[in-house]
Amino acid sequence: MFHRINTTLEQLSETALRSPADANRLVFTGGTIVFVLTTLFPFYWLFVLALTPNELISNMGLVPKGYNLAVFAQVFQELPLHRYIFNSVLISLMVTAVVISLGSVAGYAFGRYEFSGKRPLMLIILVISYFPPAAFLLPLFRLLTGSMTILGIQTPDFYNTPLGVAFPLSALTLPFAIFVLTTFYSQIPDGLEDAARIEGTTRLGALYRVIMPLSLPGLTTVGVLTFITVYNEFFFSFLMTDGSADHWSPLVWGISSIIFEQQFTTPYNLLAAASIIGVFPIAVLVLFAQEKIVSGLTAGALKE
Amino acid sequence: MGEIQLNDVTKRYGDVTAVDNMNLDLDDGEFICLVGPSGCGKSTTMEIIAGLTMPTDGSILISKQDVTNLPPKDRGIAMVFQNIALFPHMDVYDNISFGLRLRNYEKEEIDRRVERASDIVQLEGMLDRMPEEMSGGQRQRVAIARAIVRNPDVFLMDEPLANLDAKLRVHMRTELQRLHKELETTIVYVTHDQAEAMTMSDRIAVIDSGELQQIDPPLTCYNEPSNMFVAGFIGSPSMNFVEGTITEHGFEAENFDVEFEPSHLDVSLGDDITLGVRPEDVYPIDAVHSLARPTEEIAAVSDVLEPMGDEVFVYLKLEDDVQTQIEETVSNDQLLMSVEPDSLIQEDEPVTVVLDRSKVHLFDSVSGTAICHGLTPAISQR
Repeated sequence: MFHRINTTLEQLSETALRSPADANRLVFTGGTIVFVLTTLFPFYWLFVLALTPNELISNMGLVPKGYNLAVFAQVFQELPLHRYIFNSVLISLMVTAVVISLGSVAGYAFGRYEFSGKRPLMLIILVISYFPPAAFLLPLFRLLTGSMTILGIQTPDFYNTPLGVAFPLSALTLPFAIFVLTTFYSQIPDGLEDAARIEGTTRLGALYRVIMPLSLPGLTTVGVLTFITVYNEFFFSFLMTDGSADHWSPLVWGISSIIFEQQFTTPYNLLAAASIIGVFPIAVLVLFAQEKIVSGLTAGALKE
Repeated sequence: MGEIQLNDVTKRYGDVTAVDNMNLDLDDGEFICLVGPSGCGKSTTMEIIAGLTMPTDGSILISKQDVTNLPPKDRGIAMVFQNIALFPHMDVYDNISFGLRLRNYEKEEIDRRVERASDIVQLEGMLDRMPEEMSGGQRQRVAIARAIVRNPDVFLMDEPLANLDAKLRVHMRTELQRLHKELETTIVYVTHDQAEAMTMSDRIAVIDSGELQQIDPPLTCYNEPSNMFVAGFIGSPSMNFVEGTITEHGFEAENFDVEFEPSHLDVSLGDDITLGVRPEDVYPIDAVHSLARPTEEIAAVSDVLEPMGDEVFVYLKLEDDVQTQIEETVSNDQLLMSVEPDSLIQEDEPVTVVLDRSKVHLFDSVSGTAICHGLTPAISQR
């Protein structure tokens, strides 16, 4: 046995020495397989759990212990999954819109303007984005539930509203967006912006009509990442909503509310089925966005 | 319409002064070239006219209207850029009509104007192409069409031909002149290529270190440069400069003298003077009969010959052990001479030369200001 492994290894190293390209491909293929397996296995595991009837879930192997397809319908009876998904999509869209528009203006300023204090300001934004979100928890909760008075004005009460979740998440995802968009916008040749301004746009008009279309890959990246971050978010939504679909709780909080509802058992099969269904909007988004990113790159947008 | 006036325009970046107290007064329909070495402030001047850069001081008038604080879009200008700057995500039609669409023109009006502009620059049938599918020359034509489609009062062109290959550049040069003849719009043209400036413009504005050195018709700049910088910058190869002093006999340099009556000029004895003479105004001694007023003979040794076809450049050493080269601005020990291609001059042989007295320029060595263009003969020869 040991001898056989030894010979195989010897043969492999000999191949590697003779043709490094083959060795490269071997390592690359091996790495890819490991990566794909570790990424896809949890998803497969969700299917295993969803298809197995809940009372059979114990000592699970690699195959489901039943084929209970009805679970995907049952989950909609147990909780208003469609409403949770709608809530999540809506909040994600709100945050993405805010982040893209504010991040673009900020990215334009940082990427294409010279002003004093630019570097320190960028640094502050980045440093704040590295703070653990939990550090903001109490002040944000007080701020957004109307229990603070700033300069004599009482703060608004966003508890159980989409704004309650969208507000803190916009603030938390903005720094990264500003950082990425700064890089993208700074790469657009000055001549194009000058040309747009001479032709009749304002600075913001040039941003909207020339710089942003040419930075489509960057915008898509920021948009998709922001959307996914917000869609998957649990921490702030748990804080700012009570978990009911009518009170704008997003998906992840909604799914986990199943655990709190059942007192004696945990319906793992329902949790798994809800998770699988919840993944679909994101999968569709990524498929669509991927095409955009590729088309943006192949249009040679940055070539002049 | 189309007049441009710069009044005491200054632009400072921190401690650097890019444009220093510039005054320009351009007539309607003029073709003006701003020339100067890189970094001299000519592009900044143009950006200030365009409104892309705000001046630190001074005011700008276009078509007799103060536009100092107006954004570029409200100045009645169009611009063609060195890097062409077509919008890569729009086809030719969208590029050309961009400004019209922003101004909410009627669809038919846009179509009509785009068609006319693309006719003028010969782009028929290419309106649905993307910029990346076109050659450099075609892209530059699109850029020009984009500029003319709005009927601006003023065209600004920032080295529009610099990125084209040599043959295309000469071709586009002619086309731009034809375009100017056709449209009769004021054109401000920035270039560091003095051949472009000489051939195309009505007047040349020579700029150095952010200061306007001279603004005159091309031949005036060539024949009567107002200072050493203009003299050296206009003309290729550059003018010869030799340093010397004023004596009672005229100009005395290390290696040769040029006699004249100093009292005729605004100089005093002992002044440091630089003599300038263009290569084509230096003659070998056997051509002296063709000159009405030659200078005294100058002994030299030929070094390197550069046959150009229609003329030959001869590098002359005035002293032994001199490395002749073209880059130096002032070179007391060498002269560059241009002779007919059938000249018998060989490398490394003694050559006697004379200068054409009427084409000799004298400059103040300290300030560089021109003292005179053309010298009267010395008293003895009168």
